[in-house]
Amino acid sequence: MSGTAPRVQTDIELVQDVLDGHEESFAVLVERYQKGLVNYIYHMVRQYDEALELSQEVFLKVYTGLRRYDRHYKFSTWLYKIASNHTIDYLRRQHISTTSIDAAGDDPDQPDIPLPSPEQGPHDALQMKALFQDTLDAIQSLPESYRELIILRHFSFRSYEEMAKITGLPIGTVKNRIFRARRLLMETLEESR
Amino acid sequence: MLCVKVLELLPRFIENDFSEAEMEEIRRHIETCERCEAEYRAMLSLVDRLDQLPVVGVPSSFKSAIMHRLSKDMQGEEDPSS
Repeated sequence: MSGTAPRVQTDIELVQDVLDGHEESFAVLVERYQKGLVNYIYHMVRQYDEALELSQEVFLKVYTGLRRYDRHYKFSTWLYKIASNHTIDYLRRQHISTTSIDAAGDDPDQPDIPLPSPEQGPHDALQMKALFQDTLDAIQSLPESYRELIILRHFSFRSYEEMAKITGLPIGTVKNRIFRARRLLMETLEESR
Repeated sequence: MLCVKVLELLPRFIENDFSEAEMEEIRRHIETCERCEAEYRAMLSLVDRLDQLPVVGVPSSFKSAIMHRLSKDMQGEEDPSS
């Protein structure tokens, strides 16, 4: 085999590139984190168009604040910390009830949940889809402080350590809240059966 | 170990958040207790489902929209008349 695959630049290297005037490196960072970030914000606000707009605003804030980025932290931690503050500010401004499940049904732009797997029969697939919808609704019914952690963990796949840094909570508190949130989810799903 | 204690510890057990000796003690209880085993399976299945929840897509224009807004902002900063 001749030739080697191009080396993937680290986040820190890309940040340095942007600071050196190579704006196109920021596009690589956006590409790298857009999916996790949009999903985090979408599941927090439950309005797709708003989630896209807020995600764009977060990336713009990150870009303009890049000189203040402390490289002792992971870039993703810093990005999600900005996203968390921005989203919670938005929710407070909007006076969205954080324990309400109403918002999910009101948004005409809300993407439909895809059927889980083409290999499954239509009945199984529909059943699974209903189960996913019940789970998403149960997540929406969680208190905000639990909901954010469940979303960071299961939609953005952040580690406990990273979640502690993003939210400013001790790691023990993060774990306890995740565990309690899962217990609440189980109870809610059990009741809805 | 009592069921009430095991049920309380299950969320941490699922994440392997105990010493090996503690993990083993809980595991032994679960293997011999129908109720705790059912609760353990239910919690595992929830965590599994949470990790498989469908994600929303990002429009292909998302990245270029950000880059466009950035270059507009930069132009605004450079243009003293604006």
